[in-house]
Amino acid sequence: MCPDVGPPSPSTGIRFEGRTPVQEETQLMVKMTWGKLAKVFAVFIALSMLAAACGDDDDTGSGSDNGGDGSQTLNVAVVGNSQMEDIAALTPELFTQDTGIEVNYSILEEAQLREITTRDAAAGGDQFDVVMIGLFEAPQFGENGWILDLSGYAEGDEDYDVDDLIPTVREGLTVDGALYASPFYAESSFLMYRQDVLDEAGLEMPEAPTWDEVAEIAREIDSDEMAGICLRGKPGWGDLGAVFTTVLNTFGATWWAANDDGTIGEAQVDQPEFREALEFYVGLLDDAGESDASNASYNECTQQYLDGQVAMWYDATVAAGNLEADDSPVKGKNGYALAPVKETDTAGWLWAWSLAIPATTSDADLAWEYISWATGPGYIAEAGERIPGGWAAIPPGTRQSTYELPEYQDAAGAFADKTLEAMEAAPIDEPGTTPRPGLPGVQFVGVPEFQDMGNQCTELFSSAIAGGISVDEALSQCQDIASSFSQ
Amino acid sequence: MSTTEAHLVGERRWVDAVFGVIAWIVGAIYFFPILWMLVNSFKTELVANGPPTLDFDPNLDRYSEVTEATTGLLSFTEAFRNSGYVSIISTIVVLLMAIPAAYALAIYPVKKWRDVLFFFISTKFLPLVASILPLWILAREFGVLNTRLVLVILYTAMNLPLAVWMLRSFFQEVPKELVEAAEIDGAGVFGQLRSVILPIALPGIAATALLCLIFAWNEYFFAVQLNAADGQTVPIWVASNVSTRGNFIAKLSAASVLASLPVVVAGWLAQKRMIRGLAMGAIK
Amino acid sequence: MTVTDDPAGASPPSDGPEDPAPPRPPSGDAALPSHASAWRRRLPLLPALIFTILLTQVPFVMSIWYSLTNWTVNPPRDREFVGLENYIDLPDNQQFVDAAVVSIKMTVFSVLLSVLLGTLIALLLDRKFFGQGFVRTLILTPFLIMPVVAGLIWKNQMFHALYGVLNWVLERFGVDSVEFVSKYPLGSIVTVLVWQWTPFMMLIMLAGLQSQPSDVLEAARVDGASSMGIFRQLTLPHLRRYIELGVLLGTIYLLQVFDHIAVITGGGPGSTNLPFYVYRRSIGGGWLFGAASAYSIVVVVASILIATFAIRVLSNLLEGEDAA
Repeated sequence: MCPDVGPPSPSTGIRFEGRTPVQEETQLMVKMTWGKLAKVFAVFIALSMLAAACGDDDDTGSGSDNGGDGSQTLNVAVVGNSQMEDIAALTPELFTQDTGIEVNYSILEEAQLREITTRDAAAGGDQFDVVMIGLFEAPQFGENGWILDLSGYAEGDEDYDVDDLIPTVREGLTVDGALYASPFYAESSFLMYRQDVLDEAGLEMPEAPTWDEVAEIAREIDSDEMAGICLRGKPGWGDLGAVFTTVLNTFGATWWAANDDGTIGEAQVDQPEFREALEFYVGLLDDAGESDASNASYNECTQQYLDGQVAMWYDATVAAGNLEADDSPVKGKNGYALAPVKETDTAGWLWAWSLAIPATTSDADLAWEYISWATGPGYIAEAGERIPGGWAAIPPGTRQSTYELPEYQDAAGAFADKTLEAMEAAPIDEPGTTPRPGLPGVQFVGVPEFQDMGNQCTELFSSAIAGGISVDEALSQCQDIASSFSQ
Repeated sequence: MSTTEAHLVGERRWVDAVFGVIAWIVGAIYFFPILWMLVNSFKTELVANGPPTLDFDPNLDRYSEVTEATTGLLSFTEAFRNSGYVSIISTIVVLLMAIPAAYALAIYPVKKWRDVLFFFISTKFLPLVASILPLWILAREFGVLNTRLVLVILYTAMNLPLAVWMLRSFFQEVPKELVEAAEIDGAGVFGQLRSVILPIALPGIAATALLCLIFAWNEYFFAVQLNAADGQTVPIWVASNVSTRGNFIAKLSAASVLASLPVVVAGWLAQKRMIRGLAMGAIK
Repeated sequence: MTVTDDPAGASPPSDGPEDPAPPRPPSGDAALPSHASAWRRRLPLLPALIFTILLTQVPFVMSIWYSLTNWTVNPPRDREFVGLENYIDLPDNQQFVDAAVVSIKMTVFSVLLSVLLGTLIALLLDRKFFGQGFVRTLILTPFLIMPVVAGLIWKNQMFHALYGVLNWVLERFGVDSVEFVSKYPLGSIVTVLVWQWTPFMMLIMLAGLQSQPSDVLEAARVDGASSMGIFRQLTLPHLRRYIELGVLLGTIYLLQVFDHIAVITGGGPGSTNLPFYVYRRSIGGGWLFGAASAYSIVVVVASILIATFAIRVLSNLLEGEDAA
């Protein structure tokens, strides 16, 4: 008790009169309170155990150690997308049964997967035997010697059929002839639009539109009920950064010039082309963009497009699978066009979630056996009939043979050809009009610093989209940030 | 403890009624987001990601999706078992260390007890994101990555300062005479704790334990950074439903409802005791 | 600062080897040499203290070492000792300064609002009414939800410009849709933090209210004091230490806010606080562990300085008797 309140607390008021009454009293309290306390803990334990008791009990998840006891187990880290969940579910039946190799998956959110795989690769963690990394990381990790060169495995494995890989994807994962990761799922970007809405407005979308044409159509269609176009505005080098960089490229702008040795040169954010691109992007979103644009990324645009809130959407090709799904309200109403361009011939991005083997691995052969199955043509052919989403939901974009499967053509006819066309056209080698530093990349610059710079600058650009700061301010601050990385 | 009685004297009924209604409204507002999460967990992804509506066919499909067990994938049961283990064991270890420490700080305070107490609290100021790399390196060197042990240790360290701080104040409420009488009877530290201090401070200890349980159960950052491959806890299981290529709100809601159940039910049942515990010495 | 629990003279002196102790059995502490006795007093403290020192100070010392290097993980680079370079650059780092400002705003607003609301709700719930326990249960629940989930639910279901419940309600009143998260990033995050932390403050305040000595309140009533007068003269002073406790614990936890920012805004000028900034510089894409460690060291030192002032000078939280 605080002394200024005055009275002694009730407990200090207890007169001490020998041991027996106190003991009795305290024992009574012990019983009472322990009883209640025990009840709470019991409920807590019961609920956790209830969970543990019901449902199929599988212990393979945890507690299994890596090797030693005869059974072979691989720890695999993958990103949380539906295609990865599908393969995880099919692994026991299609892989473990044949090979006896158990696969222990960790499904992680993209940001955490990137943190963990980069940290493990760079600082020597060995918790995973196979990791899923992106087209951004794979060549960099390979160059750093953090992951194994898979070329030997790939070429010596007939079932794998390395020449079936879509050339641009293969090229993106290869440095100096060494293939560092095997693509599980790949995507480009293209423009999705509501054919019915455009028809009604008497507008026509060219096969290969320019950004000016797209902007004009967007502004024309835009109404109180329906926004003209959905573009990402959420901060992050892989969110706003990805879409915006493809716009930059085709506007003839870029983040950095390249030094002769391929290192990061002077920042180019202060160049007129860059300003033009950002003003175009912000202006288009301002006039005809989706609701709450500075918060929107892939998922938000999916929501709004499915709900009929936007007429067009420029994003990953894989989105078409959602739009043409059986429960989609816009199924069959969509048209697809190549990524809009301005100064360049093509502008679509290239991304692949790919499996790689960390250099610290203890058993590369075992890891390859898994990769060969998971990313080989066999899995795609077998998965189509077994996964909940059917043929349209198989991992797209990695192999030419996928697009020759009649079942896939039936199920994904609305967008399969356009996807393949976009994949093959992705300008992985020459995304813009000027040389870039680092390794090849379309919607990113192939240097590790791009993450940091991209995150910081897209925070500013997102703020400009929201109207928090001006485009001028965003550009000048971003130029400073980008300059700090110049070598 | 009946301040309410004092309040009632001489006050008119309708005033209480008005305050009662206000309290209900406030309660409804605070609970609404959770209620809405519950509602959404019965929707399909398409409906949950559209305009707010109550016009839908409720179904349990999201629950069966998230609890479906697949070999090799972190199952709901596995995550619950790990979380239960980690949070209960770490809470017990916290109490085992915090109770003697609180004794040394409250019953017969050691010299510089203020500095000691302040030190405990000051350890909570280091941003977790900054300490993760050293901790990861240490965990790797000691070979405890991807074990439940590493989380038990870290959650113990995370909750210990809070527990020491709170228990010290509860122990101060224990009448000195009783402790001294026990000491005269020859009881050592353990004897004093058992016969006098613990029984009196029990509600406070229960309140502390519950807070530790809640914080340990919901901890995500350490769990995902250190235990991504094995020994994963419930928050990792919940977050594995988050996708960057596809809507996930309905599934996430279902997973969250299940994940929150143990702490929510424990919290509901224990709230009265928690208040009494906090009240009994609270903050001396 | 020295305050004793006991009414003066009501009990024997409490402690200390030099106390003229009452007769004690030979095994008592008073019979031991004084430094041995002091160690016996300290012994129970040691497990917790040593554990905490090992678990927090070893990483801390490692961080100090990293902060003196230019350690960059990606691209891989040799780690070199650079002395205080990382610290010297700090004052010019506008982003760090901005993040510090956001941190202060976010913590102050969310702590004060949740303490204020928690107190008001506690006063409301301290009266008897139908369904009292049930309402308390409803209000308690947000505290028990995982921060990541709370953030996602609010962002997607409450704040959403098109499909959020808040905008649905506003629409009924004829107000145009508000892009809460974009327009008010800090306000949105603070709202969720306050939502989660009000219940905690409410519990502490309810505890404070219920620990009021009822006989004093009774006496005041009998003396004819008004409700308002009792509240100001008795309840509020009594609640002071509970409020201080709420502010202290709230500050400790809310300074560390990270998950909420990551899922609600993903950073940005208005909502990047220090922990999130450190994250971005290190594992969140920057991979500059040297510089990020320096930032954290500065954050810790500054927090401790402020806390020292707040806890030791302004508050009564460290009152209690001194060791002899």
